[in-house]
Amino acid sequence: MDSVDTERLELPQGTLDLLILKAVSLEPQHGWAISERIRQVSAAALQIPQGSLYPALHRLERRGWIKAKWGESDNNRRAKFYELTRTGRSQLEAEADAWRRLTVAVRLVLDMR
Amino acid sequence: MSGPHMLADLWSDVRFRFRAIFHRAELERELDDELRFHLEHEAAKLERRGVPSDEALRRARLTFGGVDRVKEEARDARGVQLLENAMRDLRYAVRGLRSRPGFTLAVVATLALGIGANAAMFGVVDRLMFRPPPYLHDPASVSRVYLEYTFRNEKIEGGTTEYLRYLDLSRQSRAIAQSAVVHNAQLAVGVGEEATEMRVGIVSASFFDFFDARPVLGRYFNSSEDSLPAGAPVVVLGNALWKTRFGGRRDILGQQLQVGALNATIIGVAPQGFVGGDETEPVTAFIPLTTYAILNYPDFASNYSWGWLDMIIRRKPGVSVAQASADLSRAYGWSWNQERALDPELDAVTAAKPHATVAPLQQLRGPEGGRDASIVLWISGVAAIVLLIACANVANLLLGRAFGRRREIAVRLALGVTRKRLIAQLLTESVVLAFLAGIAGIVIGEGGQSVLRSLFLPKSATVGVLDDPRTIVFAALVALLAGLLTGFAPALQSGRSDLTTALKSGVREGGPQRSRIRSGLLLAQGALSVFLLVGAGLFVRSLHNIVSVKLGYDVDPILFVATNLRGLKLDNKDAFLLSSRLAEESRAIPGVVSSSQIETVPFYRSRSRSFSTPGIDSASRLGHFQMQMGERDYFRTVGTRILTGRGFDSTDRRESPAVMIVSSAMARKLWPQQSALGKCIKFDDTLPCTTVVGIAEDTKMKDVVNDHSMGYYLSIEQNQPEDASLFVRVRGDAESRAEPVRKHLQGLMPGTSYVTVMPMRQIVDPITSSWRMGATMFLLFGILAVVLAAIGLYSVIAYNVAQRTHELGLRIALGAHARDVLRMVLGEGLRFGLAGIAIGVAIALAAGHWVQPLLYDESARDPFVFVAVAAVLVLAATAASAIPAARAVRVDPSIALRTE
Repeated sequence: MDSVDTERLELPQGTLDLLILKAVSLEPQHGWAISERIRQVSAAALQIPQGSLYPALHRLERRGWIKAKWGESDNNRRAKFYELTRTGRSQLEAEADAWRRLTVAVRLVLDMR
Repeated sequence: MSGPHMLADLWSDVRFRFRAIFHRAELERELDDELRFHLEHEAAKLERRGVPSDEALRRARLTFGGVDRVKEEARDARGVQLLENAMRDLRYAVRGLRSRPGFTLAVVATLALGIGANAAMFGVVDRLMFRPPPYLHDPASVSRVYLEYTFRNEKIEGGTTEYLRYLDLSRQSRAIAQSAVVHNAQLAVGVGEEATEMRVGIVSASFFDFFDARPVLGRYFNSSEDSLPAGAPVVVLGNALWKTRFGGRRDILGQQLQVGALNATIIGVAPQGFVGGDETEPVTAFIPLTTYAILNYPDFASNYSWGWLDMIIRRKPGVSVAQASADLSRAYGWSWNQERALDPELDAVTAAKPHATVAPLQQLRGPEGGRDASIVLWISGVAAIVLLIACANVANLLLGRAFGRRREIAVRLALGVTRKRLIAQLLTESVVLAFLAGIAGIVIGEGGQSVLRSLFLPKSATVGVLDDPRTIVFAALVALLAGLLTGFAPALQSGRSDLTTALKSGVREGGPQRSRIRSGLLLAQGALSVFLLVGAGLFVRSLHNIVSVKLGYDVDPILFVATNLRGLKLDNKDAFLLSSRLAEESRAIPGVVSSSQIETVPFYRSRSRSFSTPGIDSASRLGHFQMQMGERDYFRTVGTRILTGRGFDSTDRRESPAVMIVSSAMARKLWPQQSALGKCIKFDDTLPCTTVVGIAEDTKMKDVVNDHSMGYYLSIEQNQPEDASLFVRVRGDAESRAEPVRKHLQGLMPGTSYVTVMPMRQIVDPITSSWRMGATMFLLFGILAVVLAAIGLYSVIAYNVAQRTHELGLRIALGAHARDVLRMVLGEGLRFGLAGIAIGVAIALAAGHWVQPLLYDESARDPFVFVAVAAVLVLAATAASAIPAARAVRVDPSIALRTE
C-alpha cells in the first residue's frame, strides 16, 4: 500500500536485502521484528513495504545468506526466526562496504562546487 | 559473490528448491503461520496505541497489502513457483474441461483431425524425403550420383549407371571415401510351391560398409565374392525373410536358396529393419552384384551399354556436395573418353558434356524427383492449412467460452490473481486440450496413413504412426503448437478484459465488439477452405484430363505376360519358339479374345534401333523412334487403329519381304506431304529394305505428357527376338483373368522357368499417380476444411443468436416477422461466406502461378472451378446458419424477455 507519510523515504533499488541482512546480523529475528527494527533505527524514515518483506526473506533464504528456524517469541508464541549464515555475513560485509563507498562517492559529486 | 561461496550458494539453492518441491504443504503451512504471526503483532502494536481490537486487525491487513499476492510472491521467491503453478493450472484446466464434456469433445475432435492429417502426412514425407535409411552410418556424408550428358542438344538424364562407369568413377574420383552400386530386382525366391517374386537387393560388397548393421547371423559377402569376372553364388537374407521363410532358425547357414536364376548359399542374415538403401522400397535379400550381372548380361564388365545401377557415395570429410559433383564430373569425362575408345561414334566430351550431380540419397530430393516432390510438398502444405483451419475453429470456440467466463475471470482478477498468471492458466487449458487432441490425432493418423501409404509408398510394407518415434514426436510438437496458437487469442482477450465493466455488466452486453477476433478467424477459415477447394477442383480436373489422354491403345482388357527363364539356357530359336507357343496356347484359354507376341511394353520396357532411309540424311536426327514388334493379331489385341494400309497378316512370314508399320507422327516427320506407304527403311545397310505397309494411329509409349508418339512396328515373325513377351486381350475384368492365364501358361514352362502376368492397368496407373495423389489429397483435405469452416461458422452464428435472444424476443414482440428474423440471421452467415469466398479467390488467383506447373491441360484460373467452389461455400454457409436461424425464429418473446 502506498505510504501517506511524506517524511518517509523511498527505498532505493536493491537496498532491501542489505537492510534485512544487517537487521538479522546481531541476533536472530522474526519478520515483524525485522521491519520494526529498521523503522525504529532509521527514525521512522525507512519503512519496508510489508508486502515485499517476506518474498525478500524467502529469496535470501534460498540463496543461503540467511537461515530460518522456528522458536519462541517474547510472548511465548511460535515464530520463524531468521539468522545470518556465514556466506550471508561475508555478503553483508561486501554489500555494506560497497554501499559506503557509493554514498561517499555520491556525496562527493553532490558537494561539488 | 565469488570463489568458495559459489558452491555453497549453489548447494543451498538446490536444497532449498528440493524442499520447496517435496515439502510443499509444510512450507505453505509455515508461510501461513509466519504471516499470521506478523499480522497479529502489527495489530497488537496498533491496539497498544488505542485502536479497537477488531479495527486493529483490519488496519494491519490494510498496511500489509493483499495477503494472497504476498504469498504468491513468497512462493515465487522459493524458486519453484513455475512448477507449482503449472501443476495447479493443470488441475484447474482438467477440472474445467471435465465439467463441459461436449465442448471438450468438440475441440479435441477438431484439433485431432488437423493433427492426425499432419502426422500421417509427416510419416510419408519424412520417409520419402528426409529420413535416412536405417543403420546408415553418418547419413550427412552420403549422396546419390546422377549422371547426364547432352545428345543432339537434348539433355539425357538417367539415374542409373553402367558397371564399368562405376569402376571408372570410383577410381578416378578424389572426393569420395566410399562408393557402392545397387540394383533392386524383382526375383523369384525359392522353388516350386513356395517360389515368390520378391524385391532383392543386388549390391556391390562395398554397400555394407556404408551401414552400421552387424549381421545377426553369419556375415555379409566381401569383395572377393563380388569380384570379376563372376561373383560367388551367395545370399544374405533379410531379417523378415529369415523369420517368415526359415522360422528364424539359426542352423540355416550353408543351406541353398534359389534366388532368381541363382542357386545360392546362405551366408548371413541382416538385422531387423536393415532393408537396403531405401526404406520405401525394402529388399528381402542381398546377392553380389557381379554374381547377378554375369547371369543376365555376360558383357557387363567389358562395355558401357548396360546402365542399370544406382550409385551411392560417401564424400570425404570436408568435401562439399558441389565439390563432389565437380570432381565426379571430371571423372565422368575421363570415363567418357574410355567409352569413346570402345565406341568411336560417340560424341566428344566437348559436345556430350558428361556431367555428374551429387544429390541427397532420397530420390525425391534428387534432380529427377521434380514433380512428385513438389506434389508431396504441396500436400504437406495443404495438411498444414487444414491444421490452421482447425486451430482457428478451436480458437473461436475458446474465445466464445472465455467470453462466457468473463465474470469468473473478472472475479479472479479482483481477488489479486495477476494477469500473467491468468493468461498462463488459459494457455494451460488449451495445451491440455491440444495434448488430448494429439493422442486422438495419432490414432487418426495411424488410420489415415493406410490411405496415404497406398498413394505414396505402394512398395513399402512397414509404415505406421504408432510404432514410429519420429512421427510421434512430430505429432506432439504439432499438438503443442496448436495448443499455443489456439490459446493465445482467448488468453490475451481475457487478460485485457476490463474489470469493472465485466463485473457490472450483464451477460448480454459487449457481444458484437468482442466478436471482432472471432469474425476475423472465421473469415480466415472461409478463405483457406476456398483456397483448398479450388486446389482440389483444379487437381481433379487435371486428373480427369490426364486419364482421358488418348493413349492410342486399350489398357483395361490387356494382360502383359512375361517369361522368366531363370538361367535356363535356350538358344535364340528355342526361346522364340517358346514364346510363340505361349501365344498360340493362350488363345485357347477361356475369356481370351486374342493375343500377340511383343517386344516392348509402353512405360515399362522400350527399345529402338538406328535406321536409315533413302533420301533422308540421318533419320535419327529427327527425333526418337520407339520400336515395337507384333504378329498378326497385334493391332486387334492392343486396340490401336490402322489408319491406312494394313497391319501384320499371315503373309508376313520369316522368308517373305520384311514389312513395317509406322505411326502417323513418324510418317509425317519422315515423309511430309508424301504417302509413307511403300517407303523403304534400312536397319542395316547390308540388309534389304523393310517396306512400310501401314500407318497406325499415334500411341503414348514413354510419357503421357511429353510424348512425340513416334513409333514403328516390326513383324516379330521376321525378327524372332529371344526375349519376346505377350499381350493378351481378355473379356471382362482383366485382374481376375490374370491368375487363370498364368496357371495355364505356367504349365508350358520348362524347368524352374516361370511366367508372370500383370494387368496393363498396373503399369499405366503409376504414370498418372502423382496426379491421382494430388487430386485425392486436395479433395480429401478440401472437404475436411469446408466441414471445419462450416462448423466454425455454425458455432459463431449460434452463439450470436443465443446472445441476442433478448433482442430477438423484443423484435418479435414488437411485431417483426419470422421472415425478417430469418433473413437477419441467414444474412449474417452469408456475409461471412461471401467475404471468405472473396478473400479465398484472391489467394487462389495469386497462388495460381505456383500451381500451374503441377496441372495438366488445365488453367490454374479455370473459372468453372472457381464458380463451383463459390457455390459449395455459399451452400455450406447457408447450411451452417440455417439451424441457428430456425432457432432464432422460434424465440418465444415472453420467455426471452423475462430471462436476463
